[in-house]
Amino acid sequence: MRKYILYIASVALILTAVVSCDKDVQSEQSLKTLTPSNIDANAGTWKPILLTSNAQIVVPAPTLTTSDAYKAELQSIKDLQANLSKAQHNAIEYWSAGGVLRWNEILRGLVARFNLPPAPNRYGAYPAPDAENPFGDPNFPFANPPYASRAYSYVAAAQYDALKAAWYWKYQHNRPAPYTVDSDIKALMTKTDLPAYPSEDAVMSGVSAEVLKLLFPAAVEEITLKAAEQRNAALWSGKATSSDIAAGLALGKSVATVFTDRAKSDGMGAAVGNKDLWATLVKNATDRGEMAWKSLETPPRPPMLPFFGLRAYNATTPGVKAWMMTNTDIVKERPLSPPPTSSDEMAKEVAEVKWYSENLTRERLAIVHKWADGAGTATPSGHWDEIASHYIEAANFSEVRAARAFALINIALHDAAVGCWETKFFYFNPRPCQLDPSIKTATGVPNFPAYTSGHSTFSASAATVLSYLFPANAQYFNDQATEASLSRLYGAIHYRSDCQMGLEHGKRIAGYTVAFAQTDGAN
Amino acid sequence: MPNDGLMMPAKTYCSGFLYTHDQWNNYWEGTLKRENLNIGKLTTQSVMYYGVYGLNEKVNLMVMAPYIRTKASMGTLRPMEGVQDLTLSAKYNFLKVEAGPGKFATFVTGTFATPLTNYSVDFFPLSIGMGTTNVAGRYTMNYAMNNGFYANASAGYTWRSNVKLDRNAYYTDGKYYSTNEVNMHNVFDFIVDLGYHKGPLQAEVFYTQMNTLGGGDIRRQDMPFVSNKMNASKVGGLIMYYLPWPKYLAVRVSGNYVVAGRNVGQTTSLTGGLMYTLFFTKDKELKTGL
Repeated sequence: MRKYILYIASVALILTAVVSCDKDVQSEQSLKTLTPSNIDANAGTWKPILLTSNAQIVVPAPTLTTSDAYKAELQSIKDLQANLSKAQHNAIEYWSAGGVLRWNEILRGLVARFNLPPAPNRYGAYPAPDAENPFGDPNFPFANPPYASRAYSYVAAAQYDALKAAWYWKYQHNRPAPYTVDSDIKALMTKTDLPAYPSEDAVMSGVSAEVLKLLFPAAVEEITLKAAEQRNAALWSGKATSSDIAAGLALGKSVATVFTDRAKSDGMGAAVGNKDLWATLVKNATDRGEMAWKSLETPPRPPMLPFFGLRAYNATTPGVKAWMMTNTDIVKERPLSPPPTSSDEMAKEVAEVKWYSENLTRERLAIVHKWADGAGTATPSGHWDEIASHYIEAANFSEVRAARAFALINIALHDAAVGCWETKFFYFNPRPCQLDPSIKTATGVPNFPAYTSGHSTFSASAATVLSYLFPANAQYFNDQATEASLSRLYGAIHYRSDCQMGLEHGKRIAGYTVAFAQTDGAN
Repeated sequence: MPNDGLMMPAKTYCSGFLYTHDQWNNYWEGTLKRENLNIGKLTTQSVMYYGVYGLNEKVNLMVMAPYIRTKASMGTLRPMEGVQDLTLSAKYNFLKVEAGPGKFATFVTGTFATPLTNYSVDFFPLSIGMGTTNVAGRYTMNYAMNNGFYANASAGYTWRSNVKLDRNAYYTDGKYYSTNEVNMHNVFDFIVDLGYHKGPLQAEVFYTQMNTLGGGDIRRQDMPFVSNKMNASKVGGLIMYYLPWPKYLAVRVSGNYVVAGRNVGQTTSLTGGLMYTLFFTKDKELKTGL
């Protein structure tokens, strides 16, 4: 009898465990409270990316901390702190991980949300996303890998320049944080000696929101709410007064215009091209005696942003500007041509892809899916930002140094997108499934030419910058880049030479960013 | 089966292999019914081992384990195949009473299911399963008339474990998740069938409704995702017949069709198989059912 009771009890226990366990999955990254190991008081002297100097946008002197106006601001913080709700505490906790890490995560979410290719209409055509009608079907933008790389780089570079400007003015005006001026004000985020005027949180909210509204206009509501929450969290936590915040918001917005002005004329608008231009790409390849790339989708989809990379292809398609490379640099760094499509060498490459396609193991499939980074994801650039976020968090970087890390990584990733897309559309090389339709793939075939692999180029660029920033972990970053690169061969969507040449190309491209970083005054 | 009104007699074991062929050309992307020329026709074939043992007159134990293969007729995506989930059920007939010109019976069934292999759940529509470990409870009512006609109604609730992806982030149901863990919502279903069962023959028609109690829709032109809100309404029929020879061997044929759905394919499914009954008792009389 006791045996049965024990048996029934253990079955009941297992059932209860399965049925009652808490299945809710937290969507936000679990990040620790930011406690900077160094507040980087000299960041106002670091080299700007786009601003002419960190003092370019003037932040006027604040009222004195002894003034009645300022005292009223302090009183209002005390009043707010006396009545903070659970939701307000949650907002403080969320933003106390650091605005730079949070905005990068928000941006990864925006990219994933907008990273959907347009559906074909009933005539078999694909309507192009329209910046003037962002809420339409399809939504604008289609945040594909090049678009996303550009977006990550604009947000990161703009935040970085805005924060350096903020640091510059903070140490010009030296107004302490409210919790330092008045001991009755609680510090609900980590207490530091960083001057509060202008508020770095407000700077970030302003610059991020303004840049993001240009890049993701259909997400205006979400962006605006997040930005307001960041400013409120700074106020509620006793970190900044309303005048610290107002000055920060104004500075952030002004810096944003420098970046949005560039974005509006950086060549992105012409990157899609048109039917006639697409036909010339086919002709270029066939004139060289090569088989031209074609879309493997049904109905055939126009190639993804063919004029994103190509330099001054014609008068209307300048190619999207890089950050650290000139047009000459981009052309100079282009990998040598792939094996001719009719060569024995290429036949061997196709045979190798076919072998991987027919001999997929569960371990290799896991690698393919880990690095798929296709539609509905944050793209390879977002994947590398996610990897970076753990190291930035662990390093206890100040906000401005965290912004530098993301700026350098994403500038290199954007330049990798430009360089890789230039290569892809210069050679216009077919995918393995086009040369051998019997090859079946373990992830979707991207709708653009094979040579070189975007994943390989992106990954080597990111790993190179990350290795510069965190040299102790260089081996890990390079191993991850190699794995990302090979995942495309395992998935049977790339030849080995696409992967190898992409890795080398990405590394060379990142060299330009590392060279900038070595002399930016932040070391 | 876990959801019907039949019981194997004590000390008998009925088992066999069932082959199922599923296919769809259209699927529901959220609520929008569409075709996808990069998938074409999606075919799923499975061979399932099925066994049911009469522990005693009141309790039956069931086991199921399928090998599954999926294939898309168009596009480049590769077929997937492998052993899927082990399902173990215990069915208890806790009430059986004479009522009018027949018998009324009720059953409760407890089910445990778990993947037998580490298949990928991040490759829909070609993934071979959901990857969840399930605990399900089911309540079934059956009224069988003495002339052979019966009516059956069954409702089940399935608690599903979360699943893990091979990647560290995903987007679903309007949110970006910085984790590999996916919340799998529970499932409710009900089945009604009308049929005839006498001597060696069982024949029935049925309607089933399955609802996932949460989860997001497939977005426009996105791929399906493991935690999508998958709902389906199916109609179908079943015939099982014990052959005169060889004795104790039954042929089972069934089919069903999805008449309405959400985030699922409009599947036509056909199953055929042979079931053989073994007796661990001297009383070798076939008296399946009530």
